[in-house]
Amino acid sequence: MYNDLIVEHFTSPSYVGDIDTPDLEYELGNSVCGDRIRIHVKTTDGFITDIAFRAWGCATSVATADIFCNSVKGQSLEDINKRESQNIASMLGELEPSQYHCLDILKELHSSLLSEIMEGEFDG
Amino acid sequence: MYNEFFEHAEKVGLNPLKIAVSSVEELFRLPQEVLLDFKYGIIKESFTYHYESNNYYHNACVEKGVTPDSIQSFADLVKIPLIPINLHKSNDSHKLLTVGLNSIELEMRSTGTSGIPSVSRRCSPTVDGAVLSIYAMYREFFKISNGAGLYLCPSTEEIPEMGMIKALNMLAGLLDTHRFMVKQEQFVPEDAVKQLNEWQNNFTRHIIGPPFLINRFIRFLKASNTKIKLDKRSYIITLGGWKRFTGEILSREEFNQECIEYLGVEPHQIRDIYALVESNVMAVDDEFGEKHATPFMHFSVRDPKKLDREVEPGEVGQLAIFDPISRSTPGFILTEDLVRLLPGDSQSGRSGQRMQYVMRLPESTEFGCCAVNLDKRLDEQDENASDETCPVVA
Repeated sequence: MYNDLIVEHFTSPSYVGDIDTPDLEYELGNSVCGDRIRIHVKTTDGFITDIAFRAWGCATSVATADIFCNSVKGQSLEDINKRESQNIASMLGELEPSQYHCLDILKELHSSLLSEIMEGEFDG
Repeated sequence: MYNEFFEHAEKVGLNPLKIAVSSVEELFRLPQEVLLDFKYGIIKESFTYHYESNNYYHNACVEKGVTPDSIQSFADLVKIPLIPINLHKSNDSHKLLTVGLNSIELEMRSTGTSGIPSVSRRCSPTVDGAVLSIYAMYREFFKISNGAGLYLCPSTEEIPEMGMIKALNMLAGLLDTHRFMVKQEQFVPEDAVKQLNEWQNNFTRHIIGPPFLINRFIRFLKASNTKIKLDKRSYIITLGGWKRFTGEILSREEFNQECIEYLGVEPHQIRDIYALVESNVMAVDDEFGEKHATPFMHFSVRDPKKLDREVEPGEVGQLAIFDPISRSTPGFILTEDLVRLLPGDSQSGRSGQRMQYVMRLPESTEFGCCAVNLDKRLDEQDENASDETCPVVA
């Protein structure tokens, strides 16, 4: 049911936690019953220098948050913005139908990160 | 006695736990002391299994100085270390797994007022046990094998992982037909009345759902002065919290009275179920309104101020559950629910434990399941709704 990538990032996540004074903090979730993910981000000169998450939900969504953090840490916001939808979709490996909602979560993690920056809510 | 049964069953290639799960009716008829001995055996086996296979739990047991050798009699079960229910909501809930993630077949969840989901993960043997156990309890207390179910809740298609809906939906498999009346967080009570009328004289009609959504339907019936007469063998079956998102506690007595007045049923037709997504346990109302716990599980009611001490039957305490079905995570759970065990013999003659739910622990910041959030959403919609969708004034 779970591919190796999901198993690895769920059972041994590297980015769980908080950042004391994040430049950006955002949260995704469904208010009735869905998964919740909170992201803390530090940036310097247009680069993601530190990132951490807390996630509550199914194993795949927790792994998704860790995979996302791993993929953006050290990357420039410009490069993250250039990621194409099909590349983002392949980041989670092969999924079961019941796990496909995590692709939407991953896309939203990307779009929320970029939109928060575009809105200039913090000094990157 | 249990050891002999266990050894014999295994010798002929049978799973003793599955035999127990399939024998709910027989277990309810065992003498109390025989049932206790049986429960002791399967709970000790389960404790030994998790102690030996789960690093996190093993370390917690070692820290408390408890090993399988510490458990030598039924009275020793109180020593088994408990997992606080909020650990199922923690970020690192993977540490609760006794099996690898790849052995997990089903994830289910429940979300209360905090919005943080409690996720329980079940491997195939656990799902086997849960399915057999739930159906056995439904058959024992409802004897339903046909009829129509008006589900005052969303469908499993809308929220497939929600434990409460999943458990109620299993009941639908015993019916001839059913319909979910909450769609996209919308409930139109006129449609529910119409559906009940269409089924009248064709099927025995049952109303199934969390208490607040059934209460919401009754409020509509009251406001529109509509009285329904359900059938002789109909049930009103509730599962879910009795505390609203506003903090208001729905009175069971008042609820029953309104069911009698507006849905035309007798008290014995109104049945509540206590269940937790983190456990495979159920406690179901019998015909006298006494809630019976699944007979092969054990309820241990603790003094909230001294959790290693059990309170006497009849006294209110914090519920701990020993669930031997759970193979994916240790099924020894400290809930945040205050309950009392009913002393004496049951009116229905069943053996085992009977409980009365009192309330959520006052210190708990969390209450309710997904129903409490649906209730809130529907209330918000009521405030903005036009008369054609819902004429109820909350």
